[in-house]
Amino acid sequence: MLSTLLLIPFIGAFALLFWPGQPVPGRMRVVTILVLALQLAWSLRVLLAFDPSDGGMQLQESFAWVSSIGLDYRLGIDGLSLPLVLINAALTLVSAVCTRDISQRPRIYFALLLLISGAVNGAFLAENLLLFFLFYELELVPLWLLISIWGGTERAYAATKFLIFTAVSGVLILGAFLGLALFTGTVDFSLTPVLSERLAMGSQLLLLGALLIGFGIKIPLVPFHTWLPDAHTQASTPVSVLLAGVLLKLGTYGLLRFCLGMFPEAWALLAPWLAGWAAVSVLYGSLAAIAQRDMKRMVAYSSVGHMGYILLAAAAATPVSLLGAVFQMVSHGLISALLFLLVGIVYRKTGTRDLEVLRGLLNPERGLPFTGTLMILGVMASAGLPGMAGFISEFLVFRGSLEAFPLATLLCMVGSGLTAVYFLLLVNRAFFGRMAITPPSADPVADARLDIRLAAVAPRETIPAMALAIGVVAIGLIPGWLGRISETASTAMALLPALLASLQNGGVG
Amino acid sequence: MPLQDALPLPIQLAWLIPLYGFSGMVLSLPWASGWIKRHGPRPAAYLNLLMTLLAVVHGSLVIREVLSFGPQHLDIPWFHAADLDLRIGFDLSLTNLAALELVTFTSLIGQVFALGYLDKEWSLARFFALVGFFEGAMAGVVLSSNLFMSYFLLEMLTLSTYLLVGFWYAQPLVVTAARDAFLTKRVGDVLLLMGVVALSAWAGSMEFDDLYAWAAQTPLSPLAASLLGLGLIAGPMGKCAQFPMHLWLDEAMEGPNPASILRNSVVVTCGAVVLLKLMPLLRMSPLATTVLLAVGTISALGGALVAIAQVDLKRAFSYSTTSYLGLVFIAIASEQPFLALLLLFTHGLAKALLFMSVGSVIATTNCQDLTELGGLGRRMPATTTAFLVAGAGLTGILPLGCFWGYGLLVQTLIRQAPWLAAVVLLTNGLTALNLVRVFRQVFLDVAHPKTRRAPEVNWLMALPMVTLSVLVLLTPLVINRIDPLGGIADFSQLTTVLVVASGSIGLVAGCLIRLDRFWSRSVIMPLRAVQDLLAYDFYTDRIYRATIVAFVAGLASITNSVDRVLVNGLVNRIGSASMASAESLKLGVSGQLQTYVLTVILAIVLLLGSLSWFHG
Repeated sequence: MLSTLLLIPFIGAFALLFWPGQPVPGRMRVVTILVLALQLAWSLRVLLAFDPSDGGMQLQESFAWVSSIGLDYRLGIDGLSLPLVLINAALTLVSAVCTRDISQRPRIYFALLLLISGAVNGAFLAENLLLFFLFYELELVPLWLLISIWGGTERAYAATKFLIFTAVSGVLILGAFLGLALFTGTVDFSLTPVLSERLAMGSQLLLLGALLIGFGIKIPLVPFHTWLPDAHTQASTPVSVLLAGVLLKLGTYGLLRFCLGMFPEAWALLAPWLAGWAAVSVLYGSLAAIAQRDMKRMVAYSSVGHMGYILLAAAAATPVSLLGAVFQMVSHGLISALLFLLVGIVYRKTGTRDLEVLRGLLNPERGLPFTGTLMILGVMASAGLPGMAGFISEFLVFRGSLEAFPLATLLCMVGSGLTAVYFLLLVNRAFFGRMAITPPSADPVADARLDIRLAAVAPRETIPAMALAIGVVAIGLIPGWLGRISETASTAMALLPALLASLQNGGVG
Repeated sequence: MPLQDALPLPIQLAWLIPLYGFSGMVLSLPWASGWIKRHGPRPAAYLNLLMTLLAVVHGSLVIREVLSFGPQHLDIPWFHAADLDLRIGFDLSLTNLAALELVTFTSLIGQVFALGYLDKEWSLARFFALVGFFEGAMAGVVLSSNLFMSYFLLEMLTLSTYLLVGFWYAQPLVVTAARDAFLTKRVGDVLLLMGVVALSAWAGSMEFDDLYAWAAQTPLSPLAASLLGLGLIAGPMGKCAQFPMHLWLDEAMEGPNPASILRNSVVVTCGAVVLLKLMPLLRMSPLATTVLLAVGTISALGGALVAIAQVDLKRAFSYSTTSYLGLVFIAIASEQPFLALLLLFTHGLAKALLFMSVGSVIATTNCQDLTELGGLGRRMPATTTAFLVAGAGLTGILPLGCFWGYGLLVQTLIRQAPWLAAVVLLTNGLTALNLVRVFRQVFLDVAHPKTRRAPEVNWLMALPMVTLSVLVLLTPLVINRIDPLGGIADFSQLTTVLVVASGSIGLVAGCLIRLDRFWSRSVIMPLRAVQDLLAYDFYTDRIYRATIVAFVAGLASITNSVDRVLVNGLVNRIGSASMASAESLKLGVSGQLQTYVLTVILAIVLLLGSLSWFHG
């Protein structure tokens, strides 16, 4: 059942690549949308087959592949990966729907989109370290191409930066996985926790450190974040949606699955430092976002800040905080996708994302009132206003982490307050006020555009944005649905260290 | 949800009450978003009025049932995970229901008033959608029986205040006003959230009753208790526009007047109601009580003084709201919950009426500058009556609403802390002074150019005004009937004399001060300095800009330059260094095949060697 989740996008990608005849962009897009809709439907089928009361891996599939080096094809799904698989299906569909007619190489564009979606599914489902790594790297090159071919004016710089950073992250992760085999002397790449009986604490810390930096680049955490704002500003809207909504989650997923899950003892040792790192990341990201003029950069820095909550939650590793981490992954996926989509609309309609230039876009007849309304909803959700997904996620994270790390949690809450500051500035500057587009110039009277009449936004952009907004509100009002899927798994993960400790002290029977 | 057979239907369905407001918002959306343009936005307004009417009727049915069945509690699970249990709880006690009726009824007549006031407004539907949202959140806050739900709805209130203040978002002053309203409240809310999260982690249950029991049993360290207490009072402080978080209410007067009616009467009441529910928790922290008292005192006197120096009709009374809520804070800090409720109730009604009267003046003259108004008394009789009744209801001179509150408060405080009683009396006098000076400028005086043609307002505005006037006149009877205190006239003759005297002194002073333009900004330097200090609200906005705003902006720009120069610069330098070394290496290569082979072999030998060394 799970292999189908990989086969659908991969087969779709190859079908698009080798489809005979001249490519018609419109038809390519329709085919992609159909394939992705099928993938979403299949993900929902997996959801139906999923048993939320079981905390372990489910629906497992296993084939021996290259057993001699420990590479097995093992797939499984649990309450941690299922929401991410759903988000992946939904957001790739969104980014395919909101793709505008692309002039060059539509065939490759859509094939790459499908390839990314399949690879991400593979990474979330893999139960073998090497298999995870394969998929993790497989997603990298298509995204690099998507940025470097269909990106903005400085796409070469941004794409290369992205490639180098993520490649380093891949090397570190692979190094840690191989180092594990090297240190323990066994080629066991399954997801069994590594204990101090098997491996000395020093080596554990070394491997965990490599993994932390590797995933820290991907998430991204300060100071490894500098590729993200550049990649976002140069990427086109659908790619930004995908990057923020799905690909960053690979990092946080890795953090939970491979750092916390594989090295629980070393993790517990490092946890106070990680909480501090989380607080620094949150405050740094939020403060840097305040100073941005480019709307897309601002949203990108907000991602840096909001990903810090997940590190905090993982460091605390209580049942509530880990559930909060899952919630935050899902809600950040939806909210940041929504925000990038809306910023993309503004950019296409006005030709700029500069907050000093745009004014009063909420204007009912000549501006973008609907986009503005959704933007207000999106920024409020991101700032953690109740009734939307951001609030319940942050509440769970803070509530779960407060007792373990009071100071770091309070600092992160300050960061949540700062989110309100920069996003309110965004809405107030760009959407409130009298409508005008005034580029900075020596003669503002002559150069300013005051008599603007922006064309209506096409349904292919408003409908996905609406869908995302509805998702954000739905999770905010009825969080129980998502909670039921993930609660058992996150509780099992949080109890892991305690369980291991009791095993070591003579076993639980 | 479990339906208990024993309880009558209105009580079982009480959870619907906040939903009426929210569904009013949802029903208005087709008009607000412009999907239905054909018939104009009026249907949205009518739907909202209908929903609010339903809320009022349902609320009064619940009151009738509660009178015979006693207070009830509704409990609905919302979210459960591990040791966290978040629930929706409604506490159907008489005091909560009285507050609910105040909220829904004020909302109802405020909406009727808005129909008249915003007659030609093109986005009428959006206004009503927002008011529906507003009302739903408020109805939930006053009925809530647990802290989590109260916080949830308070934040929704913050959001809707932001949107209502920003209703005319194209005007520059509105933009800053909406921003300040949101951010000021948000600061309070984040601090409150810290308290809520801490309580949730420490106490487990979020029900107020469980929290009281927990607070009574659990000894907290003084530091934790103080921080918790301060966090908990920060949210209501922001909501009730208390010093130093009062700035937003004044700026929020840029929003449409019907929203100002609600904001100055019931929104601040909601904040105070939450504080009332938190009051037993504050006993843990003496520091929080002291801060509460200090904030209340400063707000009461500061607000009353600043109000006198305002030349804007609406702002003159928004500061008086700050001042009045300061008195409520004093009452709460002295642990007089019912007295605080009495004050909130009487003030809420009278202040709503006052703002309706002010709204009528503004709607007729299109002017809210006091120096340009005058002589409206004979031209607008209903408005003038409303102003007089509201003014009488707000001060302790005639035995209308607030008189009894002042009396009881002074009576309570005069034994505990005489200086606080003096603060109350002084506030009373200053409020009377303010009301009288505005009355003289707007309604007496000679007619100015803008007030020569001033017909009375249309019936949609006059009807709510007259209704509310009658209600304010009847307030003493109503509170005497409800009477949670055991005799609202339970104070000595001395107190009566003190309250009446302080009010009368204010009244006489208000009649005597000179109001002509030359005195509004005096040439006598010391007087002028004082006038400016008050007129500019103790320069609070400048202090903010110089301190906290500058601090955050500075930190942001430092972070940004660190990010660009240090972090990103380092990455770029590593990149260009590797490019440069590659370029120089390129020149060092001879191009002969042998060299390449040699390099490859050397590399392999090194790799194998290091591996065997590592293993060995």
